[in-house]
Amino acid sequence: MDWSVIATHLPFLMKGLWMSVKLATLVVIFAFPLACLIAVGRISSRSWIRYPSAIFVNTMRSNPLILIVFWFFFLVPIIIGRPVGDFASVMIGFIVFFSAYFTEIIRSGIQSVGRNQIQAGLSTGLTYFQTMRMIVLPQALRNMMPALITECVIVFQGTTIAYVVGLREFLNSTFLITEITLRPAELYTFAAIVYFVVCFAGSSLARQMEKRKVRT
Amino acid sequence: MSDPLVDIRDLSLWYEKFKALDNISTSFTAGKCVVICGPSGSGKSSLLRCVNRLEDFQEGDVYFEGQSLRECPNIASLRSNIGMVFQHFELYPHMTILDNITLAPRHAKGKSKADAEAHALTLLERVDIVDQAHKHPAELSGGQQQRAAIARALALEPKLMLFDEPTSALDPEMIVEVLRAMRDLANDGMTMLVVTHEMGFAREVSDEIVFMDEGKIVERKETNDFFSNPHSKRAQDFLDRILMKI
Amino acid sequence: MTFKYDFDWPMLLEDPYKEWIIEGVTTTIYLSLLAWVIALTIGIIIGTIRMTRSPWLRFIGTAYVEFFRNIPLLVQLFVWFFVFPLMLPHDWMLSWNRLPHIPFITALLALSLFTAARVAEHIRSGISSIPKGQFDAARSSGLTEVQIYRYVIIPYAFRVMIPTIASEFLTIFKNSALTLTIGVSEITSSAKAIEAWSFHGIEAYSVASVTYMTTTATVVLFMGWLEHRLRIPGLIAKK
Repeated sequence: MDWSVIATHLPFLMKGLWMSVKLATLVVIFAFPLACLIAVGRISSRSWIRYPSAIFVNTMRSNPLILIVFWFFFLVPIIIGRPVGDFASVMIGFIVFFSAYFTEIIRSGIQSVGRNQIQAGLSTGLTYFQTMRMIVLPQALRNMMPALITECVIVFQGTTIAYVVGLREFLNSTFLITEITLRPAELYTFAAIVYFVVCFAGSSLARQMEKRKVRT
Repeated sequence: MSDPLVDIRDLSLWYEKFKALDNISTSFTAGKCVVICGPSGSGKSSLLRCVNRLEDFQEGDVYFEGQSLRECPNIASLRSNIGMVFQHFELYPHMTILDNITLAPRHAKGKSKADAEAHALTLLERVDIVDQAHKHPAELSGGQQQRAAIARALALEPKLMLFDEPTSALDPEMIVEVLRAMRDLANDGMTMLVVTHEMGFAREVSDEIVFMDEGKIVERKETNDFFSNPHSKRAQDFLDRILMKI
Repeated sequence: MTFKYDFDWPMLLEDPYKEWIIEGVTTTIYLSLLAWVIALTIGIIIGTIRMTRSPWLRFIGTAYVEFFRNIPLLVQLFVWFFVFPLMLPHDWMLSWNRLPHIPFITALLALSLFTAARVAEHIRSGISSIPKGQFDAARSSGLTEVQIYRYVIIPYAFRVMIPTIASEFLTIFKNSALTLTIGVSEITSSAKAIEAWSFHGIEAYSVASVTYMTTTATVVLFMGWLEHRLRIPGLIAKK
């Protein structure tokens, strides 16, 4: 083992890691509001809203992320009519894909609150909108917090898939350095450790919140 | 006087820092039905659960037929001679009543399937639910489930039966049918330790009463003596309160 | 915004594309099924040892789960593919390199071990949802710890967990697409190859998507039926 190879190429690798973090953050920022809209559609009483939302969610959830990335990588330039770059194509694929998973988390969060809470709110003279905003959503958000954080960890893990289209995120950068230095053992071990540390921190946070939720 | 079936010596049990049983010494003779009563949190269920070592007590020891539970090399085999009935029945929901009853005889006592089933059916006959043998627990009423649980415990052909508040999860009309099954068992000479709040049952069926409070045995008396002449203030208060309720 | 594209669906039925599709579908299904069976076996063992009283066994179980859950599957695949052979003693490495279908074997290894950690988590939460009284009842009747798990806890937990076990098959099934990165010719790699050769991406990726979606729908329907068949009479399904 010769770990100096990592020290030598650390700046390049860290640039890759920064790209992974940026990608994951942007995906969460865009996918979450989109998912809120779709989740409201999923529980709507109007079937012409409910069915398309359900079809979208189930389609995304029954395809692998890597295939969705290929789809968007191929389709986005055709639909837009001009190349938009690797980053934008991958981003759009990720956002669409993960919004489906966020949708299901939000939906079950809202449904976990229960009809009686809505009725209790309405019975005290609050409007439906007020009930949702002041009674249902705060509880729902609290209930779904651990699942949301777990999903953010999964998004971060998912960014490795940008590797397949050559986007220079952390895994792709590692791969590139192994091609140059022929030291896969050190480099992939290093990558695994870095991913582990970040993801373990995230999932520990989720577990803490889960415990706090159970206690109160 | 013959050797006691269960002999408890200097038994103490802690849950974390809470001392649930405080240096208890007592013994139970074969053929007797003893009711253990006392306010909630007095340690009566804990005491019962120490008799088959469902609780790992920290101090003292319990002897079953002279065998130390602390040093018992094969606790499973010892437990298969003691039947236990729980507050919430604890039938296995994924098995039929018949399979519930035959599981331990077959796998803990090595009985054949045919023998175990034949015996199970006579037991179900005895608790009057033989027609429910092939149903699943959730299809039965609470009273029927508890009678099935009694049959399951009896299938071990136990030398001792432990009852841990067997009627507190039941509606009144179902309590009657479970108590009837227990009374028949006592009349047949089964050795029974019963934790219960049913003072009617205690007075009518049991031979002795053990009254517990704060992890100690406050009083132990012949049944009639206990009801007519409780010695301690705490037992008097307890009886006043509980009999008033009935 | 313009959308210009010439569709050519019949080309999918011509060679070599037809061959690639058949090979891709077969490999995907074969790989997922094998990995699923291995993952369930390991996952049940790990999940159960996390519930035992021995702190050492529990630690091993927890360490396994945390390790495999917190490293992205793609990274795990690369580690098994590029690093693992280098870690073997020299003559082992030589025999490893002589194995046929190394990408497939590596993929199987990585997918099973990764999914086993998820299965172990499901098993643990399934088992912790069983009331403590069930253990007491089984213990009090003289069953040994092994018998308690074998006859009482696992059969019941298994029924409760049918939906999650099924969804783990679908997880493996979708994750198997990642193995194209180490050269397994599964269905997504076939689609990618068809796209690269013909520039007909829509047709190519549709084949892959249809494969995943029909399989998912089939498994979901089958599991609904199975769940109904194994339903415990009298118990109302928890929603």
